[in-house]
Amino acid sequence: MLDGLWLLRDFLDSGGWVLWTILWVTVLLWTLMLERLWFLGWVFPRQAQGYQQAWQARADRASLAARHIRNAWLSQAQQRLNRFIPLVRVLIALCPLLGLLGTVTGMIQVFDVMALSGNGNPRAMASGVSRATMPTMAGMVIAISGLFCLARLDQQSRRALQRLTDRLRHD
Amino acid sequence: MKRLLIILLAGLMAPLVQAQPASLDDLLRNVRELRSSEQAAMRERETRFITERDQQQRRLREAEQALAGVQAEADRLKARFDQQEAELAELQAELSQRSGSLGELFGVVRQSAGDTLSQWQDSLLNLKFPERTATLQQLSESRQIPTVETLEQFWFTLQQDMTDSGKVSRFDAPVVGRDGQQQLSPVLAVGPFIAVQGRDYLIYQPEAGQLLVAARQPDGNGLASKFDSPRTGLADLWVDPTRGNVINQLQLTPSLWERVQQGGLVGYVILALGLIGLLLALARLAWLQRTQQRVDRQVADLDNLDTGNPLGRVLGVIGAQPKLEQLDTLELKLDEAILKETPALERWQGLIKLLAAVAPLLGLLGTVTGMIATFQAITLFGTGDPKLMAGGISQALVTTVLGLVVAIPLLFMHSLVAARSKALVQLLEQQSAGLIALHLGGDERGEERRGA
Repeated sequence: MLDGLWLLRDFLDSGGWVLWTILWVTVLLWTLMLERLWFLGWVFPRQAQGYQQAWQARADRASLAARHIRNAWLSQAQQRLNRFIPLVRVLIALCPLLGLLGTVTGMIQVFDVMALSGNGNPRAMASGVSRATMPTMAGMVIAISGLFCLARLDQQSRRALQRLTDRLRHD
Repeated sequence: MKRLLIILLAGLMAPLVQAQPASLDDLLRNVRELRSSEQAAMRERETRFITERDQQQRRLREAEQALAGVQAEADRLKARFDQQEAELAELQAELSQRSGSLGELFGVVRQSAGDTLSQWQDSLLNLKFPERTATLQQLSESRQIPTVETLEQFWFTLQQDMTDSGKVSRFDAPVVGRDGQQQLSPVLAVGPFIAVQGRDYLIYQPEAGQLLVAARQPDGNGLASKFDSPRTGLADLWVDPTRGNVINQLQLTPSLWERVQQGGLVGYVILALGLIGLLLALARLAWLQRTQQRVDRQVADLDNLDTGNPLGRVLGVIGAQPKLEQLDTLELKLDEAILKETPALERWQGLIKLLAAVAPLLGLLGTVTGMIATFQAITLFGTGDPKLMAGGISQALVTTVLGLVVAIPLLFMHSLVAARSKALVQLLEQQSAGLIALHLGGDERGEERRGA
């Protein structure tokens, strides 16, 4: 376990500060996505139940006023369902950009080494090259895995809203 | 005819008859005189020849005598030459026998003196022993056989360098400070590796024979001052094992601001756009936050409509005392009011997004112009020196970095602003009518909160 942590630390250090930034973005991204999954699985069904009971308790479910109220509730539910989703989307979009940033800063380091010691010393350039490649790879991996999860979240929240819409029936 | 022949003959004979001497006696006398004079001349010539012959013979004898003398002298000299030649060979054999392997030694001494000199050229210890390079120079360039004293001196200098390389020493040396003034000041030196004055690391300049305060100090240079301060235990001190190369290279590493400057005009444009975008996004965020708070307050208190927030203004079009039945007809008025509010809520969002999209493109532009500069350098000077290409390449890379550094926070901010304003617009569009219906219908807010 501890060895694993040290390995992770070595990996992160070989990628420089950009890789650390990607790590924080990843932690934030997955926290948000897990929160969404938990919300969809546990919190939202109870809220939907509450909406349905309130709707059933109403005497008037057919008038225009009632339709407005229903629309307002659905809109509130949609806002709750879609909370953080734009942020997740942007975080996923940021990952490849951060990877590119790492590539370029790594290349700058490589060229610094070349300017100082000429291009005859590949070993001195190795650290810059690993700084260039590691963040790119990490950014890609995070973004692709995040995209899969985001697509699933999107689909689930749309389906949950659809179910709620069906349950708040007009008479 | 006969007569004619006789006449001709007579004509021819006439001169012969006339040339005959006057008399025979005269002729005889003439002949005798001639003969005696000739005899006298002959005799005279003979005597002259004889004397001349005698003279030549005498000269010949004299020359032969001289030749004999010179020959004798030559023989004597040749003998002496041969004798000396033999002596010289003998002496040379003796010399080489006596000097043995010393000749090789002198060559080695000269060569190693030259090598040591070149090694010590930029050594810090030259400040401590200023005369040693001159001595070595003399030794390496001299064509004479070095004396025993010189050899011992050379050995002693090598030993001295070795001993002092392991010492931490304090001495006075000329130091050029940050203000450019040179003054003699106390310096702490660790062997030939580093020199420290106070808390500053120094660079040795061999040409001027002085120390220069390094413009860029290594991080954590407090270590030097800790070492210099009075203490009882051991203290850490950073040592440059490459004898100053690392500190010299540190001077070449650009700082953050110098890196930004490498980006050139394109870099500044990207930074300016990024600053504008960031300020705009922050202003929008603060404004939306304030509006959100007001709208929340309005939702909690629908009885008193306030024109200071969008929801209050939208619901205000319905009138002070709306009736539930009128709501249907008022929907059009509501829509119009919402349409008026939306642009204010979404203002500047497009620009922020545009700036976030433009920044990486400008970075790409900088990359391309930098590569053009690089290829121009290659065209002019070839690929032999990577330092010549470094300017263009750093421009290319730095602008890309700047573009990304600007785009990433702007994208983030745009997402926050867009989410805020979208929530507000949705509240206005989809919930305003519902809110008023709930309010007028007597359903208290508790019901719509139940779900939360």
